[in-house]
Amino acid sequence: MHRLLRGDMLPLPSNLVSRHLVVSSLPSLPPAPFPLRREAHLWYIVPNELEDASLLQDYMKLLSPCEKENVLSIKGEALKKCAILSRVLVRTTLSRYTDCKVNPRLFKFRKNRFGKPEVEHQNGCLWVPPSLQFNISHTSSMIACGVTVDVPIGIDIEEKRRKPVNNILSLAHRYFSPYEVQYLASFMDPESRQSEFLRLWTLKEAYVKALGRGFSGAPFRDFTIRFENSTDSVVPERPKSEEFRIMIDTASDSVNLTANWQFALVELCGSHLAAICMEKDENMPGTEQEFLKLKVWKTLPFVEDKCMSQTDAVINISGLC
Amino acid sequence: MASLAGTTISIASRPWHSLQAAKELSSLKSISFSSIKKSFPAIRLQPASSRLQICCAAKSDTLEKVLKIVRKQLAVPEGTAVIAESKFSELGADSLDTVEIVMGLEEAFGISVEEESAQKIITVQDAADLIQELVEAKSC
Repeated sequence: MHRLLRGDMLPLPSNLVSRHLVVSSLPSLPPAPFPLRREAHLWYIVPNELEDASLLQDYMKLLSPCEKENVLSIKGEALKKCAILSRVLVRTTLSRYTDCKVNPRLFKFRKNRFGKPEVEHQNGCLWVPPSLQFNISHTSSMIACGVTVDVPIGIDIEEKRRKPVNNILSLAHRYFSPYEVQYLASFMDPESRQSEFLRLWTLKEAYVKALGRGFSGAPFRDFTIRFENSTDSVVPERPKSEEFRIMIDTASDSVNLTANWQFALVELCGSHLAAICMEKDENMPGTEQEFLKLKVWKTLPFVEDKCMSQTDAVINISGLC
Repeated sequence: MASLAGTTISIASRPWHSLQAAKELSSLKSISFSSIKKSFPAIRLQPASSRLQICCAAKSDTLEKVLKIVRKQLAVPEGTAVIAESKFSELGADSLDTVEIVMGLEEAFGISVEEESAQKIITVQDAADLIQELVEAKSC
């Protein structure tokens, strides 16, 4: 199906692409409307669902020479596949938000001075909305790309059954804040403790990635993620009801670590945790700032897109409207 | 660029070529890898582990211990070799793997690794070199 010729995408100058691509241009991607204020979009791919080797070859053609070289240096077919899909997801996702006027292959990327990837805006005919922000995350079983407009975004996904190799409290003592260690220690049941650890981990990762300053620029122990229910408990313990808010406390380094960020935590497909962090919109009044909106699509680019919002595949744990 | 300082080879990396960034593939990482390859054609062409062990200060038992911890953490599939030259990003290490490996190394060697130093590690050899430096500094 991906080999069907569709004329919807703008033709590319022939000196930029291989003959093959010019002759059999990829079918069009459906364009996506811009995220609204306080809205994040999440696109994800499940690598196991791609079995068509020729589709993977076509995907490779979308990568830049450097990205191809990187992929070829990776050992193991599964990891190679994830590497290809990761780049394809970013490129095709961004293309959707240009009303599909920009071919996925044409995007250029760079890293900010701390290492956070961003789109390199070029002069000339390429139209890429400068306000588009993105962040990717992957596990071996899922690759995700979050998109926002104007405000930075960070996302992190993990398999919800992931069991760290090391002891959880040892990891927490080494990397987390004292409050978080105490919170985790309050769970006696190992499975609950493991689950809470992963929730904290993904949220902390999402924050650091949203800040865009790298792991050493925002050490995990310098900020605290806590879950607060409406009784505003100051003792770290599990909120009494499942409805709780995700709060961040950066008092130990409030100069470098800002706290005007909002979080959401969702369960995806019953198998993965996804944490989303985006900067708060200071212009929104009061408690409206607390929740963010999320739209989720599952995609196999050029083959199928499925909107998963409002389905069982996306379960709000905290933070969504 | 690599420099020989005493008995240590350090491969200086730009800060954004970090273990943490292993999750995010980018063209810029590949450019740096290419430039390192151009600087060290001799090292690249020879059997990786034997040549590096002759040149490098990290004792072979340090390297072996590091390889063991990395293999255990990453549960690499059969047929994928983990050697001194292996890049963590190419082995599929994500950020949680990275911190677990660093913690495992700290416990195994009785050292403490700063986040800034950990960010500079690209290959298993880099990790072994850093351990060696920290162990030697500790015993001074």
